[in-house]
Amino acid sequence: MKVLMKPIKMIAWFEENGKLMPIRYQLENSESEKISVNVDKVLLMQEEKLAGNKMFIYKCQSVLNGLERIYELKYELYTCKWFLYKM
Amino acid sequence: MTRTIMHIDVNSAFLSWTAVHMLQHGSSIDLRNIPSIIGGNQATRHGIVLAKSIPAKGFKIQTGEPVFQAKQKCPNLVVMPPDYFLYMQCSSALSEILQNYSDKIQLFSIDECFLDYTGIEKILGEPIKVANQIREQIRKELGFTVNIGISTNKLLAKMAGDLKKPDMTHTIYPEEISAKMWPLPVEDLYMVGRATAPKLKGMGIHTIGDLANTDIELLKYKFKSWGLMLHAYANGIDESPVHPGSGHTVIKGIGNSTTVYFDVIDKQTAYKVLLSLVETVSMRLRFSGFCCSVVAVSLKTDELISSSHQKKLMTPIDCTNAVFKEVKSLFDEMWRGQPIRQMGIRVSDLYTKDYIQLSFFEENWDKQRRLDKTIDEIRIKYGSNAVIRSSFLWSGLSPLEGGVVDEFPVMSSIL
Repeated sequence: MKVLMKPIKMIAWFEENGKLMPIRYQLENSESEKISVNVDKVLLMQEEKLAGNKMFIYKCQSVLNGLERIYELKYELYTCKWFLYKM
Repeated sequence: MTRTIMHIDVNSAFLSWTAVHMLQHGSSIDLRNIPSIIGGNQATRHGIVLAKSIPAKGFKIQTGEPVFQAKQKCPNLVVMPPDYFLYMQCSSALSEILQNYSDKIQLFSIDECFLDYTGIEKILGEPIKVANQIREQIRKELGFTVNIGISTNKLLAKMAGDLKKPDMTHTIYPEEISAKMWPLPVEDLYMVGRATAPKLKGMGIHTIGDLANTDIELLKYKFKSWGLMLHAYANGIDESPVHPGSGHTVIKGIGNSTTVYFDVIDKQTAYKVLLSLVETVSMRLRFSGFCCSVVAVSLKTDELISSSHQKKLMTPIDCTNAVFKEVKSLFDEMWRGQPIRQMGIRVSDLYTKDYIQLSFFEENWDKQRRLDKTIDEIRIKYGSNAVIRSSFLWSGLSPLEGGVVDEFPVMSSIL
């Protein structure tokens, strides 16, 4: 996996226990086309507190161009921004 | 009772905090492994080195020197701007972790803490083992490294933490002073700075051990009470307790200074810069609930020659205009027309406002005081630039200069 750290548009929901879950996001491919990706499965969720800055890391699985791929998303609590972290 | 004190010091704090923040945001470069510095903006002439990486140290780059000089020493130097909000976030995350180990934690500066571990040995275990555990936890959770010094008082703990960096635990217990602390050069002792060190060397005192074994009467004769303190510190004697919180409750003076982005050569501009400083200083003075009776002005010329002047007042004041009047007269007395690079003002000898002895022979600032109160309230409600003096319009100067970043822990030299 390569580190990308690309800001993305995201639809996410909060579960009853307050857990934030990514559902669907928008990506720009190499031809600058916008493609929507469904988050099929969240495999792992981790909290990170580096430099005192809270972020949540989600290891996810989605079908991209007919291929099942594993990648990581990041959510920064303080700025409320979503990133495509690694793919 | 023998105490156990730990001193926790972040290794190249500003730099490693910025480095970790960048890594967290996907950077492929770790600033700590390349020649890099945190430096101010050169365009506005605030360009000094605030922190450096260990590889930058190899190029003999020093904290406090101008950025352009550092770049001459290392042309590939990476310069990053400071981010005080991030630093405060890191500092509070650090103290949050420390709170798991003791309830007595003193924030000594933004990147240094004292932790009183006395009595906790019985619950958590040996200090060295726990110190290593703290270091490990900070490195894992927060991503930066710290040095921890352990001893029986704050001074020795601080000296121990400075022994060898980075990411290490050291002890200087009283029985180790002669082996670990005394061979160090005298300028490594806490409170021996660039003014004291040459004087001590002139007396043939080169190491901390030399100082510890110098006749106390001689030190007292040369340095007065300062000499007694130095002698005690060289012998590892310090009784100050760990003050929980930030520990700095007593304000002795309030000051602000600014480096102007051009050289000031005329009086009118100089007055404006001074006024912008007076605005912030007098506002801070009023917010802290004090009146001052000493006003001081300091200047630094384009040739980096500093001078200062101060005046004791008959009646304590807290009005912007009253302070500015004194500042102007002090400035007129000391300025000989040299181009000015930096200006600063400072008020001290503070009194509470409850009772003030007024004088027949001085101006009555009562009306002015009411105006100041109104202006302060407007600025609190609508922002500090809601009301400004018209003289600053189109002047290219900021109407309020200096000030402190809110809640930024202040530095102190008192243990």
